[in-house]
Amino acid sequence: MTTGEAATEKASRTGASSVTYRGATKRYPGAETAAVDGLDLEVPAGEICVLVGPSGCGKTTAMRMVNRMVEITEGDILIGGDSVREREPARLRREIGYVIQETGLFPHRTVTENIGAVPQLLGWKKDRIHARAAELMELIGLDPALGDRYPAQLSGGQQQRVGVARALAVDPPVMLMDEPFGAIDPINRERLQNEFLRLQSELRKTVLFVTHDIDEAIKMGDRIAILHDGARVAQYATPAEILMDPADEFVEDFVGADRALKRLALMRVRDISLWKAPLARAGEATAEVRARLAEPDVEVPYALLVDERERPQGWLSGRDLAGERVPERPDSPLGPVLELDDVMRDALADLLQGQSQYAPVVDARGRIDGVLSVEIISEFLGSPEARSEERGAAERPLGAEQPGG
Amino acid sequence: MASGALIAAVGQVGEGFFKERSSDTLPCQSKPSHLFCFDWARENIDRFGTPTLQHFEMVVVAVVVGFAIAFALALLAHRRRWLQPPLLAATGVLYTIPSLAFFFLLLPITGLGRTTAIVALSAYTLQILYRNTVAGLANVPESVRDAARGMGLTDRQILWKVELPLATPEIVAGLRIATVSTVAIATLAVFIVAGGLGTQIYGGGNLTFPTSIIIAGTIAILMALALDLLILLGQRVLTPWRRAVRA
Repeated sequence: MTTGEAATEKASRTGASSVTYRGATKRYPGAETAAVDGLDLEVPAGEICVLVGPSGCGKTTAMRMVNRMVEITEGDILIGGDSVREREPARLRREIGYVIQETGLFPHRTVTENIGAVPQLLGWKKDRIHARAAELMELIGLDPALGDRYPAQLSGGQQQRVGVARALAVDPPVMLMDEPFGAIDPINRERLQNEFLRLQSELRKTVLFVTHDIDEAIKMGDRIAILHDGARVAQYATPAEILMDPADEFVEDFVGADRALKRLALMRVRDISLWKAPLARAGEATAEVRARLAEPDVEVPYALLVDERERPQGWLSGRDLAGERVPERPDSPLGPVLELDDVMRDALADLLQGQSQYAPVVDARGRIDGVLSVEIISEFLGSPEARSEERGAAERPLGAEQPGG
Repeated sequence: MASGALIAAVGQVGEGFFKERSSDTLPCQSKPSHLFCFDWARENIDRFGTPTLQHFEMVVVAVVVGFAIAFALALLAHRRRWLQPPLLAATGVLYTIPSLAFFFLLLPITGLGRTTAIVALSAYTLQILYRNTVAGLANVPESVRDAARGMGLTDRQILWKVELPLATPEIVAGLRIATVSTVAIATLAVFIVAGGLGTQIYGGGNLTFPTSIIIAGTIAILMALALDLLILLGQRVLTPWRRAVRA
């Protein structure tokens, strides 16, 4: 097998190609400055690279240069090592998925016909197009019965799903997505983002994703390129690196003062070291429980009632422990129960919403693993690692909420 | 010189009518106040057959020719935007020429008869057909065009598979107006001896005997309505997505 064949086989197996900008420049006639000024960027195959920046920074232009919707003035862009400049634009575009904010669905075509648009251009047989459309509709969570509907008969979220399905129709190695979820209400946007991430974990396409929303960038990106004017790269790194170590003031400003909080969105409860609560079982002698609470290194000043499989049942109050034996029903309610896989930001929200200082954290089987407290989170946010910048304004309100007891 | 020929031509036409009419025996003459003479209508209904066919043919040919020209101009202007204002102005000027004047202006070139009528009638359809086609193409949402291009449709494919289907309602709207108005204007073709329902409207004794006008007028109205309906049905078949109800 030649190396060429090997590369082809690898590409077809992973279904993705790298995208490399090599000093790619776009200069519009009559404009003083270049819209995209010598962009160098390497997007590894199978990753989502988010291009983010203020409006007018050239992020969309940079993205549209890949499928030559915008012609490259100087430099080049390589897809899997091949220059896009040597390709015939229409043919090139058929091999690159294209999703835009306004969906751009064909109003006069049914959902199936929309999804089948590129396959039709490539001369697929009707049966194959229908089968592929049905397959994709299932993949993106659309009822295949909607196949005969027209776009106007779908909700905004459904339309955007069709837009994504249409871009995936011929299994392109590269996808371009220009603010694909920008016009969708927040609840559905979140759903679509999650669905796309789930899809991407299976498909592993190389995705160039344009947004102006840093939160979306952090959520969607394997890597984020933060761009200034002229699509100059201010920082190109993973979301965690950008939040922890912004390259300069521009990035800091763009990421926002609440970047410590944003980091919580990237973490799961299992990523932080939890406290241990003294455990108690129904029928146990309260004296033993009280002894455990009195130990010097105890972190949680309340005992947690668990059942025989160590599933948390409730917090024991002083009154519960006043008797001889631990009661079956605790005095105070359990409050929020978190899971190890919960996102930290959501866990914090649960804690604050439940107005409790402590929440038991359980594993996938519901067994107690530890206790998360507001204090743990605020200590984490206050740690040198999280406080690498001085003006962490967002951290202070949290610190203020530190429980006094 | 040319005007002399014109006057002579019109004279001939008038004479033709007069002769035609004078050879008829007119019933209901004892009661001229009658708007409509059923006896006459019953006896003379046959005489409307040929003019109706002529009229229909003239309208259809004129609209088809007009549409072909307007469509080609619109496609050209769609590609080359700078052509849009001059073409709109040119078709607009044609539209403002009074119909009779237009017919007579063409006489020295195309002579009396059907050709002149069709040339003039086609010219009248250009304005509305051209303008609606250009507007229809321009109203295709930019996002749809962008997506089509981004998916790898060529310009020609975008035009035929996306833009023209989406412009169909506007194009058809123009076609309906053009057809209906052509049915009306075609009645004037009689003045250049092109036949049609006009022969039964502008006849010699018709001012005092309106039965023929009423019949010919009614046929013209029915023809306009029928053609309008036919085109509308055609549009419904061509644009099924327009009827799809929002879920």
